[in-house]
Amino acid sequence: MRHLMLGCEAIVEGALKAGASFYAGYPISPATEILVLISEYASKHPEFKFIQSEDEIAAANAIMGASLAGAKSFTATSGPGFTLMQEAIGFGHMVEAPTVLVNVQRPGPATSMPTMPAQQDIIQTHYGSAGDYYPIAFYPNSVEECYIYAIKAFNAAEESLSPVILLADGFIGHLSEVVDINAIDVEVTPRSRPPLGTGKRFFTGLAHDEHNKVQTANAEIYKAWLNKVKKRHEQVAANYVYYEYRQNRSSDTLIIAYGFISRVVLPLASQFALFRPIRIFPVLGDELREHAKDYKNIVVIEANDGQYASLVEREIHSDVISVPLQGGRMNLERARQGLSEKLGRKID
Amino acid sequence: MFKDLLATELYPTNWCAGCGIGQIAIQLAKVMDELGLDHTNSTLVSGVGCTGMLSQFFNVDGTYTLHGRTLPFAEAVKKVNPELEVIVVSGDGDIASIGGNHLIHVSRRNANLTVICNSNQVYGLTGGQAGPTTPKGTKTTSTPAGSPFDPVNIQGLMMANAKYFYARTTIYHQTHFRNCIKEAIAWPGFAFIDLICNCIENNGRRLGFNSAYEMLQYYRETYKKAPDGADKLEPHEIGIIKKG
Repeated sequence: MRHLMLGCEAIVEGALKAGASFYAGYPISPATEILVLISEYASKHPEFKFIQSEDEIAAANAIMGASLAGAKSFTATSGPGFTLMQEAIGFGHMVEAPTVLVNVQRPGPATSMPTMPAQQDIIQTHYGSAGDYYPIAFYPNSVEECYIYAIKAFNAAEESLSPVILLADGFIGHLSEVVDINAIDVEVTPRSRPPLGTGKRFFTGLAHDEHNKVQTANAEIYKAWLNKVKKRHEQVAANYVYYEYRQNRSSDTLIIAYGFISRVVLPLASQFALFRPIRIFPVLGDELREHAKDYKNIVVIEANDGQYASLVEREIHSDVISVPLQGGRMNLERARQGLSEKLGRKID
Repeated sequence: MFKDLLATELYPTNWCAGCGIGQIAIQLAKVMDELGLDHTNSTLVSGVGCTGMLSQFFNVDGTYTLHGRTLPFAEAVKKVNPELEVIVVSGDGDIASIGGNHLIHVSRRNANLTVICNSNQVYGLTGGQAGPTTPKGTKTTSTPAGSPFDPVNIQGLMMANAKYFYARTTIYHQTHFRNCIKEAIAWPGFAFIDLICNCIENNGRRLGFNSAYEMLQYYRETYKKAPDGADKLEPHEIGIIKKG
């Protein structure tokens, strides 16, 4: 049946479809709808466990505990809360806890513009926690995709044995669209690890060998562990190559945009080629190189000061033009204006 | 045998000679053995610090969480699997300083956990800095003129809750300690054991003790059992206060 549904609501539906049975979170705009909806669900379904945590640090650590205890678990937040969750994300990678963290982005730094949409946590998503780790992250741009990629995020988490980030923004999270989620078929990956209370294992944030024995001064064991984890993430990510590409042979310019900005710039498709990454991390290097080579100008339009643009530049090994759209209120006119300034010609 | 619960193949532990934490492990293993707790029905959660290392030396699933995050982690484990006995063992720095906010709220939510807090009054692993339970005036490597502040009042924090279980004991009083663990495990809510325990190398020597033995003698002479029915423990009393 077709329903009018919020992006945040579709994320909740997707999580439940994926088999989530634990949520911990702290209220924060513009992600609060997820907490409220899941608390209502939990009140009617006692098998679903819910904790309203004292802060985002507790929430993120709680989902790691729930994961090791055997539940598919998730949390949702926005930029400032995501910052508080960073230490637990690193921990989750170290103890290999499959979890999903939703970040409905708003402008930063700090408290900034709580009800406005933004994309300012792209770098934080990959590099926010201490140390080297290889997170997988998706960024849908519609309510239907919120549902689909919520499920895929849980699947990727189980397969990579790590925290997976589902990105959204204040616009996508609060967007209402008509969808029929029952008509969408996404396969669900089952739980991958035996729960706590079944073995004699040791889960530790300290460096450890394959038997989980603490090894805090052995470079070879550390490198072997890191390489194993890195390889696993690359292999899993290879099954999640999601993007959208609209060729335009008459244009010399490829515009890269994702999330809500990809919706804003869609009318430019008649004049430009468009590339929309859905899997934000690992960055779609091969696909970007493949399509970027056909164009003279590579432009990234995003709601931050060139965060993804810098990553694209690194992947395609040539200059990328950054068109930042900041401050929350985005429209096509501002995108046109930014393009005009950077390309040095009028854009209709 | 309680020794079956200990991962003795990993011994020697990395604790200093004369450290009290080894005794925490032994006393806990004895209680678990007596109660029939093993890897099929229980799990240990510990945090960062000397005491946090304890969970790796047990033959049950154990988690060495981030610094200060034992309680929200353990609360979630218990929520997902209420049948599992979830025992938290960590230091006072971990539980009452960096994890202080979690202590307030996880105890307020009355999560059904057993918490053994090694109140050794110092950050031992980093070389002896003042911790949240360091008595006022104590010289440490971070308070060369003596700690200027009164220690955190964990008993008061626990008693601020509508329901609470607060036990104070020392590592010298082993039978009492084991009874505290047993009662805490049986308690249907958040049970906190405030364990006075010796760190000889990074605290005791600076205080003038020559050996762990002298510290244990000090606990023996200083800490007395609270009168039956006491509704609050005085500073050098051991006992259990609870309200269900």
